[in-house]
Amino acid sequence: MGWFDYVWMGILAVFQGPEMFSILGLAIPVTIVMILMGFLMGVAVGATPGLAGPMAMAVALPILISIFGFTPDALLPVMGFLLGIMKGATIGGAVPAILFNTPGTPDAFMTTLDGYPMTKAGQARKALRVAHFSSASGDTFSDIVLIFCAPFLAVVVERYLDLPEKTALLILSLAFIAAVIGGSVGKGLISLGLGLLAAYVGTGEDFYPRLSMGSQTLAQGFPIAAVVLGVLILGEVFKSIEELWQENRKSGALAVVEQSGDQRLHWADIKRLLPYISRSAVIGTAIGALPGIGSTLAATLGYTTGRAAHARKGRSPAFGQGAPEGIAATEAANSSVSGANLIPVLSLGIPGNAAAVFLILAADSIGGFNPGPSVFRFTGDQVNPEMVIAFGLFTCMMIANLLNWTIGGAFMRSMGFMSRIPKHILLPVVLLLTLTSIYVQETRMVAIWFTIGFGVLGYLMRRLGISPLPFVIAYILGGKLEESARQAFAATGGDAWFLFSSSVSIAFMALTVLVVTLSLRKPKEART
Amino acid sequence: MKRFLRAAVTAVGLTALATGALASDWTPPGPIKLMIAFKAGGGADTQARLIAEDLEAKLGWKFIPEQVTGKGGMNLAMAIKDQPNDGSVIGIVVTETLGYNMKVANAGVAPSDFTAITTTAGFQMGVVSLSSKGWATFDDMIAAAKAGSLRFGAMSPKLADLAYLLGKAQGVDFNIVNVKGGKGVMNGVNAGDLDLGFMAGIQGKGVAAGDLVNLASALSEPLKQTPDAPTFADLGVPFSADGYFLIIGPGGMPTEARDALAAAVGEVVSTEGTKSNGMISKAFGGAAVIAGDDAQALVQSDFEAAGALLQAASE
Repeated sequence: MGWFDYVWMGILAVFQGPEMFSILGLAIPVTIVMILMGFLMGVAVGATPGLAGPMAMAVALPILISIFGFTPDALLPVMGFLLGIMKGATIGGAVPAILFNTPGTPDAFMTTLDGYPMTKAGQARKALRVAHFSSASGDTFSDIVLIFCAPFLAVVVERYLDLPEKTALLILSLAFIAAVIGGSVGKGLISLGLGLLAAYVGTGEDFYPRLSMGSQTLAQGFPIAAVVLGVLILGEVFKSIEELWQENRKSGALAVVEQSGDQRLHWADIKRLLPYISRSAVIGTAIGALPGIGSTLAATLGYTTGRAAHARKGRSPAFGQGAPEGIAATEAANSSVSGANLIPVLSLGIPGNAAAVFLILAADSIGGFNPGPSVFRFTGDQVNPEMVIAFGLFTCMMIANLLNWTIGGAFMRSMGFMSRIPKHILLPVVLLLTLTSIYVQETRMVAIWFTIGFGVLGYLMRRLGISPLPFVIAYILGGKLEESARQAFAATGGDAWFLFSSSVSIAFMALTVLVVTLSLRKPKEART
Repeated sequence: MKRFLRAAVTAVGLTALATGALASDWTPPGPIKLMIAFKAGGGADTQARLIAEDLEAKLGWKFIPEQVTGKGGMNLAMAIKDQPNDGSVIGIVVTETLGYNMKVANAGVAPSDFTAITTTAGFQMGVVSLSSKGWATFDDMIAAAKAGSLRFGAMSPKLADLAYLLGKAQGVDFNIVNVKGGKGVMNGVNAGDLDLGFMAGIQGKGVAAGDLVNLASALSEPLKQTPDAPTFADLGVPFSADGYFLIIGPGGMPTEARDALAAAVGEVVSTEGTKSNGMISKAFGGAAVIAGDDAQALVQSDFEAAGALLQAASE
């Protein structure tokens, strides 16, 4: 069994999976249908200000699981759907940014800077084409990097890192996430600490329930979906409802601009845009591969680097005045984060952003696939089913890219109306769907109360400027951290200094301290 | 006439209801929640899901599997304790859960608070290492352990106690690492994080392929796959890891529900050609069905015997 056998089995797992229906005797595999549906839904969701990819993923996941069940056969259709949403939302976010000066997703903010001026100049369709082309290019590039990097990184980690080093690597990742997400390291660490605290309720190796305060409900720990959906989705919904209440919506009608001139994207345009796209794709991929930084910073960096290059060449229009290069630089950067973000997920089991959190949640709920270094292990003559799933996921991503290149552009351009959906209708719908889907998955009322409780926590964190993402990531990694620390401690014969037992783990720990102190030194702008 | 017809229909309906309650015709009142005390993706989890699949295919019962892992099955036990006992909630654990673990947890529950429905398969618990380590026999491994302490993976506190006693009897010190599930031990052994460890049957394929080697049997009898490997008794440990996968329900489950569930599970795991039977034959050396009162007696005696092992391991 070599790499190529697994690549081939992964492709077959997608195409020869359970069939949905057949057209003229040609079986249409369910996974492909799910990718398509996820992708279309993602574009629509991305194009709706106030909704984002992770929200749709969160609501869809329990419903999908109740449809497909808990067998390993469900992994590819469900995760394919989620990957579709993830990719669709990335291109969808540019639509309202360009047409209405409102970013559909936070990372599309920079797209408004040049996208809306192009709309005002009557070039809206061309701006959308530029956004789509750059986004699809960045995304595809990022996926290719993922497919080549993740397996090898996993093999290296598995071969060279022992239990103490794996523990140190988890500590480093958590510190890094706390330091780079959100406004300040202090707040990041608070978020992280709360997440770990929640993860440690009711878990652990001892027989008596930890931190349960005598309650049998707490002794089982919090259901993972309740925590993640509560903090990430309900928290966001609560905050948006409050904002809606306060601002009463500035209802200035947007002037409709006559669209004129050549709206097509010519080869000459593409040639002009390509340097910006490739520069941003590399930046986005590099940033995506580091857990926690996210697409908004990638977009900002891509845009500013592009602007510097543009200014050097002295071309007009300048960035900020309707330059297609500006859209290209932003969209290529924020789209190329999504694929690379799965590098730490698949090779280390460490989620780097909200979308990755939901993919891990899916794998965790369904079972049979545990993202982490053991996924890419060769097991002699036997098939390692997890590696087949991993390559199946890569196949799903490439199919989603193909959809993106073929029908993505046209579909995206038809989604302009989504931004007219009023928030006061949208938010309650999201709230109800989230609670329903929690109940579908957990089938006990206490899960709903937990979800609402964590929703309030998420709301408070947002009000205090604390990013909820370190909380969620710490919650997911908390168990793994404890497990590997206990194992490392036992394996080294009870050495309390196991984290400093080898040069690699010492290096990881030194980096941890360095990351935190460096971020403490310079105050940073708020990031998500 | 009309009234007579209505009465007749009612009577027929009542008869149907009454028949429905008879043991042989017992059907679950709705979808059955199947709690699984094992980490998703491992051998035990796969077994549970395959049994559910087989029952769905054979009887049309619907199962909702749910992972309730942790604390050696005690989390599941505590969660299932107060669930409806009409057969709509069952759980799969190991006999150790209601034995050693329940004793140690001291959580105010005893096996009598649960209904033991049936066992499905016994452990083929071996002490396993990679064959690339170069140890052909148990003694080779002990020689290596004397040169430098080895990492011994165990997936439960009882097994950790047994590993400790094994080391004590053989005059070596193992670094005993607690790992989640036999799959965790196997991953650790494969990755080189562990030198050896307990595996309850998941090692079958690897041993057959020559990648892994059964150094010893942790049972009171030799392993089916490697009969030459010494047992724990041969190695000076007067305890064993004998145990079974066990399906339980909340205490006081009506006998007809318990027996119908036990019969249904017992049949699919023992029938050649079912998915679960295939898996159990490969991984656990065939089905081992102990049902009803016998199963209840088995866990009760395990519970009572747990004290001796605890005593020995704490000396």
